[in-house]
Amino acid sequence: MRKVLGGLFKVMPLLFGLGFLAPLIAQVLTLTGWALPGGVAPLAVGLAIGGIWGGVATLTGRWL
Amino acid sequence: MIAVPDVATLRAMDPKALNRLEKDVADQFMGGLAWGSALWGLGNLAVWLSLWPLTIMGILPLWAAFPIATLNVMLCYLPSHEAQHRIYAREGEPLFWLNELVGYLSTIPLVLPYQVARLTHYEHHTHTNDPELDPDIATKSNGPWHLIFKSIVNRQPGAKAGSAYGETLARLGTPEAQAAGLQALAAQLGYLAVLFGMAWTGHALEAALIWWLPRHIGVTYIQFYLSWAPHHPGTGKGRYKDTRAFRSAVGNIGSMGMQFHIIHHLYPRIPLMRTPAAYWALRPILEARGCDLERL
Repeated sequence: MRKVLGGLFKVMPLLFGLGFLAPLIAQVLTLTGWALPGGVAPLAVGLAIGGIWGGVATLTGRWL
Repeated sequence: MIAVPDVATLRAMDPKALNRLEKDVADQFMGGLAWGSALWGLGNLAVWLSLWPLTIMGILPLWAAFPIATLNVMLCYLPSHEAQHRIYAREGEPLFWLNELVGYLSTIPLVLPYQVARLTHYEHHTHTNDPELDPDIATKSNGPWHLIFKSIVNRQPGAKAGSAYGETLARLGTPEAQAAGLQALAAQLGYLAVLFGMAWTGHALEAALIWWLPRHIGVTYIQFYLSWAPHHPGTGKGRYKDTRAFRSAVGNIGSMGMQFHIIHHLYPRIPLMRTPAAYWALRPILEARGCDLERL
């Protein structure tokens, strides 16, 4: 249990990027009415930004 | 009210007599039920909880809910802090349930479990400004802007300060501390589950503006006024040196009474709302003792 939770918290920034930032970015894009090139779905942009940002934060230990 | 002589007379007093006088003056401000703080803690939580249905149902716009939620997070710690010191009631007293109710509930917006806060806060009192043992030492900074910068840096995923409370609980090693560690884990997982759940059901903005962002702003505020400002420069050791009185640019209410935090460290059982009066009564004694009272 301890190992599972330890592993979970190690990758928490990535999970946070995908689990929270991605839908948040998608919702902001939808609300602002930004027309994305090639008809890309707002959620795809959210997942890309949230996933990359969270992944980098997991590796470097910093969001900023 | 007990009459306190002038500073010169106090300085010439026998140390034991001075100690007795200080305690007698302080005792006048203890006791009674701190109803104001209890209502503050529970009312504040009720307002914060109401923001969720009000915004989701479209009754309250998010732009209005955001500053209210931020204020709620800023306000939520101190009522629990009173409970941590058993201000409402002690173990065995009829109203101890109220003490624990306020303690457990009021810090929900901050995601700071009561027992974690209580045990680590006692360690802060015991080891104030100790670079190894004070769980709040990470807020030690050169000035206000440095504190804000450090507060943000300390919240990064890899920051050492992020594990300070966990390390303190591990060092304590008691069954109570272990249970508090589990509560911290459950609170963190619960918080993230709510954020993720809200976000994936179309309420990411509500979650961001009622909890996530207000919590970050609130933590910075709390660290500024409740941790950094009263202990700055964070080097003094000992009963009369580790905490100071200071004049806040935003006044006593804006700094939530922390101008008089020195009283709390000397007499933790004086309720928050009586610390200003206790300070003015004790001020000559504190001055005679060489405390840092700045311009207050």
